[in-house]
Amino acid sequence: MPATSGFRAWLADHKWPLGYVAIIVCLFLLYQAILPNLIDEVSTPVTAWLPVATINECLMWAIMALGLNVVVGYAGLLDLGYVAFWALGGYTAGWLMAAPFNWTWDFQLFAPVAESYPGTHITFWLVILIAGCLCALLGVAIGAPTLRLRGDYLALVTLGFGEVITQFFRNSNDIDGYNVANGDAGIPIIDPIGLGPFGLIAGVPESLTNSGSDNIYKILVLGALLGLCLFVSLRIRGGRLGRAWLAIREDQLAATTMGVPLVRSKLLAYAVGAFFGGIGGVANAAGITGAVSPSGFDFGKSVLVLLMVVLGGMGNVWGVTIGAFLLAWLNSNGLRQIGVTIGAASGKNLEAALPRYNFLILGLLLVFMMLFRREGLLPEKRTKALLTTPSRIEMESVGAHIAEAEAKNRAIAESNPNVDAEIAGSAGAVSPDLEPPAAAESTNALKDPDQ
Amino acid sequence: MTALAVRGSRRQSAIRLRRVVERSLGLALLALAVIWLVWNLVADPTRFTGSVLIGLQNGLLYALVALGYTMVYGVIELINFAHGDLFMLATIVAAAIMVSVLSVKLVGAGAILPLLVALVGCMAFGAAVNVSAEFFAYRRLRSAPRLAPLMTAVGLSFVFRGIAQQDYVNGSAQKNWPIEWGGPIVEGVYLYKLLLVGAVTVPLLLGMTYIVTRMKMGKAMRAVAQDQDAARLVGINVNGTISFTFALGGALAGAAGVLYFLVQAQTYYDTGTQFGLIAFTAAVLGGIGNLTGAVVGGLAIGLIQSINEGGTHGLGSNWSQSVVFLILIVLMVLRPEGIFGRASTEKV
Amino acid sequence: MSQPVTDASRAGVHEASENVLYADHITIRFGGLVAVSDVSFGIPPKSIVSLIGPNGAGKTTFFNVLTGLYQASVGTVYLGGRDLTGLKPDRRAALGMARTFQNIRLFNLMTVEENIMVAMHAHLRSGVFSTVLRLPRQRREERAAADAARELLHYVGIEKRQGELARNLSYGDQRRLEVARALALRPKVLLLDEPTAGMNPRESAEFKEFVHRVRDEKRLSALLIEHDMSVIMTISERITVMDHGHVIAEGAPEEIRNNQTVIEAYLGKAGRGARRTSQS
Repeated sequence: MPATSGFRAWLADHKWPLGYVAIIVCLFLLYQAILPNLIDEVSTPVTAWLPVATINECLMWAIMALGLNVVVGYAGLLDLGYVAFWALGGYTAGWLMAAPFNWTWDFQLFAPVAESYPGTHITFWLVILIAGCLCALLGVAIGAPTLRLRGDYLALVTLGFGEVITQFFRNSNDIDGYNVANGDAGIPIIDPIGLGPFGLIAGVPESLTNSGSDNIYKILVLGALLGLCLFVSLRIRGGRLGRAWLAIREDQLAATTMGVPLVRSKLLAYAVGAFFGGIGGVANAAGITGAVSPSGFDFGKSVLVLLMVVLGGMGNVWGVTIGAFLLAWLNSNGLRQIGVTIGAASGKNLEAALPRYNFLILGLLLVFMMLFRREGLLPEKRTKALLTTPSRIEMESVGAHIAEAEAKNRAIAESNPNVDAEIAGSAGAVSPDLEPPAAAESTNALKDPDQ
Repeated sequence: MTALAVRGSRRQSAIRLRRVVERSLGLALLALAVIWLVWNLVADPTRFTGSVLIGLQNGLLYALVALGYTMVYGVIELINFAHGDLFMLATIVAAAIMVSVLSVKLVGAGAILPLLVALVGCMAFGAAVNVSAEFFAYRRLRSAPRLAPLMTAVGLSFVFRGIAQQDYVNGSAQKNWPIEWGGPIVEGVYLYKLLLVGAVTVPLLLGMTYIVTRMKMGKAMRAVAQDQDAARLVGINVNGTISFTFALGGALAGAAGVLYFLVQAQTYYDTGTQFGLIAFTAAVLGGIGNLTGAVVGGLAIGLIQSINEGGTHGLGSNWSQSVVFLILIVLMVLRPEGIFGRASTEKV
Repeated sequence: MSQPVTDASRAGVHEASENVLYADHITIRFGGLVAVSDVSFGIPPKSIVSLIGPNGAGKTTFFNVLTGLYQASVGTVYLGGRDLTGLKPDRRAALGMARTFQNIRLFNLMTVEENIMVAMHAHLRSGVFSTVLRLPRQRREERAAADAARELLHYVGIEKRQGELARNLSYGDQRRLEVARALALRPKVLLLDEPTAGMNPRESAEFKEFVHRVRDEKRLSALLIEHDMSVIMTISERITVMDHGHVIAEGAPEEIRNNQTVIEAYLGKAGRGARRTSQS
C-alpha cells in the first residue's frame, strides 16, 4: 500500500480505532483521577448527567447493538428476538459464576471469591467465551428454520423465539421436576468480574473485585470487550464473509447465483451476532445487575437494541455504537435528568414522570426515523440507498415497475454531487460524440488489442 | 447415456422423496394433534367439554383479530405489527366507556344498550386509529423496501403500549374491573360469555364475508391485493380501497377489544403483544390473506390452547405460548402457505 | 413428442459427457402452466450457442433451471458430465456455471471491485478465524483476489472505475461489470441473458469481438439469449429456436435464417431484414 510515511499512513488508516481507545481511556481517567479533584460545582453536574453506572450500561448496550448489527446491519436479517441471547448469556453466568441455587458442584477457577464459597465459580473471562459459544449454537438453532423465510415472517418468527426462550426461563424452576434456572426468582448474587487469570500478572490493581455497577474500572473492562466486538466486526466485514453478507443483504438471488452459499453465510451471521450477545449478557449479569431474572428480558429490549442499530445507521459499527450510547443513556439516565432540569426550570416535578414515557418516546423515534431518516445518524453510504430503493424481488413480485423507476430516479437524484461529476465524465460510453478526445484512445479490452 | 440417465433419475427420485417426506411429516403432525385431542376427550369428557367451550370462546376472538391481520396483509403485504396493540387499546376504551362512563356492573339485559354503545364506539375508534396510521405512516412507505413499514409498525406498537402505560390511561400494572356475570356455569365456563362472544362475532364474520365477496368494495380489495397497478389502470381508487381495508381491520380489532374486556374484565398494557402473536399464528395457520383461513385458524389455535391449559393431558398455561409458537415454527418450515393458501413461486 | 429439428442439429445434441452443458428432456411446469416442454439441449466445449425465440417462449425460465433457481419438473441438467439435480445455485456457480441477468443485477451499493470479489467467494478458502486474525494465508488470498479482480476489470475495460459504486456506472460499463463478475467464477459455461439489450451498434460490434475473445482466451462456452439478429447471426455457431416452450428448430445460422417454421413463428419482418443485413 502506498504510504506518505509508514507511521503517518498507519495513523490515518486507524483513526477511528485509535480515537475509540483514546475516548475509553480518557473516560476512565476522568472519573478515576480528575473528577474527584474538581470543585463540586463542576463535578456534581457531570456525575448527575453521566454517572459511571450509566457509562457502564451504555457500553454493555453497545456490545449488544454490535451483535445485532451483524445480523440486521450486515446480513439484512431482521431479528426481533435478540433478547434471547441476552437471557442465555445471563443465565450462563448464573450457572457458572453465582451463588448455588440448586446443585452444588464445588469448583473454582480463578474466581474472585473466598475458597470456602460453595458452588461453581469460574472466572468471568472464561465464562464470556463459554456463553458466547453457547449463544452461537442457539443462534444457529434459531436461524436454521428461518432460512427460507422472507423479511416480515422472519421478524415474527424470531420475535416468537425470543418470547419462548423467556417463557422457558420463567418456567425453569420446574421442568419435568428439575430446577434448571430457578424460574421467576432468577439467580441472585452473581460473582463480580474479578481479575481472573490476569491476576497472575504483577501490578494489575485489585479493584475489579468490587461489586456494584459504578465501579470505575469496569469502564476499562467493558470498553475492552466493546473494542473486541468492534475489532471482530470490522475484520470480518473486510473479508469474504463480510462481502457475502452485504451481497445477501442487497440481492439474495444475485448473490446465490454468484456462488455465495446462502445457508452457511446466514447461519454464520446468526452465530457471530449471537456470540456478541452472549458476551453482553454475561457482562450485564456480572457487571451491571449482579443477578439474572426473567423479568429483565422482554420484547421491549429487543426493540430497543434494534432501534439503536437503526438509529446508528445499519452496518456502520461506529454509528451503531454512538446510537447505542445515546439511546442507552436516554433510557437509563437521560430522561430522568431532563425531567429534573425541566422541573427545576418550570417548577413541575418531572423527574419520576418523564422516564415512564420511554416506550412512547422510543416508539415515536422509531416511527419518525423510518419516515424521515431511514439511514440513521451515521449511515454507511450504502444503507441510505438500500433503504430507499426497494429490492428487485419485492418490486417484481408486487408488479410496480413504475414505482421502481421512480425510486431509482429518486436514489440517483439524491446521490453525491462528486459522484455526479464522474457520471458526467463517463458519458462518453453512451455516445462517442460526448467523449473527450483524449479518452477515446484509452485501453479498451473490447477492441482487439493487437490493433 | 443410460448410466447418466439412471443416475439422473435416481437423483430426481431422491428429491421427490424429500417432498413426500415433508408432506407426510405434516400429515403425521396433524394426526398426532387429533390423537392428542381424542386422548384428552377420553380421559375426562366433562373437563374436555369445558375446555372446548373456552376454546371456542377464545378462538372466536382470535379469529376476529386474525381477520384484521390477514385482510391488511392481503392488500398491501404488510404484517401490521401494531394490530395486537390496537386491540389492547380497544380493551381500555371499552373499559372507559362501559364502566367509567356508563357504570356497568352486571352483565345482563340492562347492559345491552351500553354494550352496543361500546361496540360502536370501539369499532369506530379502532377504524379511526388504523386508518390514521395507514395515512400518516404506512402510505409514505409503500414504495420503500419491506423493512421500513415493518419497523414503523413496530414503532407504532411501542407508541400504543407507551400510551397505555400512562397512569391516566391504564398504568403499568394489570387492572381488574368489577364486572359480574350471571347465568349458568358449565365446568367453569360462563355460558353467557360464550353466547355474547358468538352473538357478536358470527354476524361480524358473516358481514365481512358479504362485504368481500358481494360488495363492489370487496372486489376492489381483491383486485388491489392481486396487482396494484392493474387495479389502478382499471379505475379502482387504490388509496381509498387500502384505507377501507385498514378501517375494516381496525373495526374488527375494536369489537374484539370490547368482547375481551367483558369476558376477562381485565386490562393490561402487555395484552397486545401476546394476543397479537397468537392471532398472527392463527392467520398464518389458515393461510395468510385467506379470510376463511383466519377463522378456521383462530378456532383451531383457541382449541389447542384451551385444551393445553385445561385438559388432563396438557402442559398447562405456563407453556401455552411456547406451544402456539412451536406451531408457528413448524408451519413456517413445512407449510408457510397455511391450510388454505397456495404455495407461491417468485418470478425472476 | 418429437421436435422438428434439422439434420445439422443431431450433430449438436450430444451425450452429456461430450457437452460441457447438457440439458436432458427438461420440462418445467408452474401449476397448470407448462413453461418449457421436453427440451433437450447441449453445448459443446469452447463454442458459442444462441437461444432465441419470441417473448414468453420460455428462454429465461430455461436459464433459471440451468442455474438452479427453479427445479425442473422433469429432466436433468449436466455440467461437465456431472448431474446437477438438487444442487443449489451457489454450488452450480462454484462448479463453473456463470450467468448474467436480463435486467442488470449488480450489487449496486458495493464498489466495482467488491462486486467481482463477491463472485470469488467459492474460490477463496479463509474461514472466520483466519479472517479475524488476518493470518498470512488469508492476507495472501485477499491480495491475490484483489489482483485478479483488477485484472478482470482491465480485461473488460473498466479498470478506471475501480473504486466507484456499481450503481454510478454508465449502462454500458454496468454490463461489462456484470460480465467481469461472471468471469470471476472461472466458469466452464457462461450464460448471457440478453447481453446487448440497450447497446448501440458500435457497442454490439465490440461485444461480439469480446465474446469471441473470451471464448478463446478463457476457454469457455457461451450460451446467449438474444433478440438482436445481427449479433446472433454473426456470432453463433449454432442457434436453437424456442416457441411456447418447445424447440422448433436448431442448427447453423444459415439454416435457421431460411427455416420456414422459424420465420413464421418469430422473425417475420425482421427475418427479411436479417437476410438483407447478411447480404450487405
